[in-house]
Amino acid sequence: MFDQLISMVFTTSFGYSIIRITSPILFAALAAVVAEKAGVSNIGLEGIMGISALFGVLFAYWTNNWLVGALGALVVGAFLGLIMGFFALKLKTDIILAGIAVNLMGGGGTIFLLYLFTGLKGNTASLTTPAMLTPRINIPLIQDIPVLGPIFSGHSILTYVAFLLVFVVWVLLYKTATGLQIRAVGENPNAADSVGVSVLKIQYIALAISGALSGLGGAYMSMYYSQSWNTGIIAGRGFIALAAQAMGQGEPVGAMLSSLLFGFASALGNKMEGMPGFSSYLVAAIPYAVTIIGLVLYAAATIKRIKKTRK
Amino acid sequence: MKKMLSLLLASALTVSMLAGCGGGNDAPAADNADSEGEGGKVYKVCNLVNGNLGDKSFFDSAEAGLQELKAAGRIEYDKAIEMGGTTEDEVKWEGMLEEVSASGEYDLIIVGTYQMPEYLKNVSENYPDQKYLIYDDTTYVLPNVVNVNYKQNDLGYLVGTFAAAMTTETGVEGINEDAVVGFVGGVDSPVINDFLYGFLLGAQAVNPDIKVDTRYTNSYVDPAKGKELAESMINDNNCDIIWGVAGNSGNGAVEAAMETGKAYFIGVDSDQEITLPAEQAAITLTSGLKNIDKSLVWIFDEWDAGREHWGEHILLGMKENGIGIVTDKNYDKMVPDSVKEKVDAAIEAVANGDVVVPTAIGDESNAVVELRESMKP
Repeated sequence: MFDQLISMVFTTSFGYSIIRITSPILFAALAAVVAEKAGVSNIGLEGIMGISALFGVLFAYWTNNWLVGALGALVVGAFLGLIMGFFALKLKTDIILAGIAVNLMGGGGTIFLLYLFTGLKGNTASLTTPAMLTPRINIPLIQDIPVLGPIFSGHSILTYVAFLLVFVVWVLLYKTATGLQIRAVGENPNAADSVGVSVLKIQYIALAISGALSGLGGAYMSMYYSQSWNTGIIAGRGFIALAAQAMGQGEPVGAMLSSLLFGFASALGNKMEGMPGFSSYLVAAIPYAVTIIGLVLYAAATIKRIKKTRK
Repeated sequence: MKKMLSLLLASALTVSMLAGCGGGNDAPAADNADSEGEGGKVYKVCNLVNGNLGDKSFFDSAEAGLQELKAAGRIEYDKAIEMGGTTEDEVKWEGMLEEVSASGEYDLIIVGTYQMPEYLKNVSENYPDQKYLIYDDTTYVLPNVVNVNYKQNDLGYLVGTFAAAMTTETGVEGINEDAVVGFVGGVDSPVINDFLYGFLLGAQAVNPDIKVDTRYTNSYVDPAKGKELAESMINDNNCDIIWGVAGNSGNGAVEAAMETGKAYFIGVDSDQEITLPAEQAAITLTSGLKNIDKSLVWIFDEWDAGREHWGEHILLGMKENGIGIVTDKNYDKMVPDSVKEKVDAAIEAVANGDVVVPTAIGDESNAVVELRESMKP
């Protein structure tokens, strides 16, 4: 049994699969990182992804151009982030409630919008044309390397954008003035305010960036991973991203590593499903179990480190 | 004209009811005899669609069946009442059902799908004399309602026969020599396993050594998950035919088949070759069908023959044409005759009862799970 599992795991398709599963979670985890750094908890990631995913398809369908679709999803995501900001920052609703509202809207509201714009209900499969899907990129040189080529080459352009964004977000947070302000606002809004930083403006910016990142995650879901949009398409990835952000200690690289861990666990679960003797219910829990184990190990390591420094 | 007719019919009904109480010697009796002369009563039918027509699935199928009955002069019917399918529309459904029931105009009110039983229960209890039909739902047994359902185990048997016969036809482009087929299910639950049970047995009947890679998405709305599972089936186990029985998640399997270029897809419930994008439809060999249209015709046949099924759960299989598989388009063009012969034989065997497919619904022995595990590659 384990020979079979091992022979499945040591394949290039397994590595490829991990990266593909990780990408949408990574977008959303980075979105969570940026918002959390500015002291606002964006739990509306799931909803923003779902709505942007729909608009990505719609824009791409109207123009028959995937790039317009992806950018449209980004803009819609940013816009939704700003709307959340408007309710939470201007009208002083609890940000968690605003997030829940967006998530609910991502459920029922999207079907309404879909029907309004296309007359379809359920899914957009009948609209899809190849020009609407984000292209796969074969990386020159790397694609010719055995083993590494099939794993790292041939992904959607958005996958590479996601991993590039890890670096970009890190630069934004730690090497730019805006990043400094975001972190300052997140850690101590009063102190930031006292030195003339507009807390509101910075939080709006952070939410817009957060929304835009989730928007790209949505576009990945409906314009590449699945080739059409349907209700509930995000299927909890936005929430998993929140866990990835927490597990990654709110840092871009940490969030990436925890997203990859989750991707690994999911890919492993997918392989185990096909083998005799594994209940699908048990297998479905693997990614979550791995997440919990990861958190426990991390907490244990932190406690050990703290004890050491005290000595 | 229509109003006149309905008025006439309604009065005929009332009068015949009164006649039962021993009161009537009026003319409409002749009216009744007249319509009976054409081979049965002409029923006035209302079809409430909790969505919109144009779904290329259950609602269109029901509509087609009713139009067929109308064309044959067997029912009086205009067009489905489209109530809309969104959450916003849902609040109107019960009111609409109440309204048509209260009107008392109809001999039969038809609704369908898993979303309607609650409303139907509430309303039908208030109108005990009104007859209702609900298709593709088994939630309640109500005295004035007939539930029409479809033997997905029979359906699975046909699809399993086809997949097993097809998977070794190496003459067809993209088919490899390994006898391995795939099943992407929604949730490890009795209904999905009922499809699976038939599928496994049908496949085994063709080839006792066949392997079936069964995996569940655990969600009906996550095509990405379905895609991952199907890709693993194709890449790791050489599956070249995959049946998706998982709603939207199942459609992930056709994407995996398309992207790898090494497999074919089989759809479920309705003809998915019509609903999928062209590139995906091109690799969809057939679909397992629930024939809502045929089942409605069947019910009226029964009714005319004096067999009424109110308060019953009707399960229609191959014999009643309640299920079937798509045999035009890709199937016609791409499937070798030897495979078609095997499928035709299976259709006949199931229809005339030579093959009885056991069901997974209500089966405590867990036989389907054991069979599933024993057939994994």
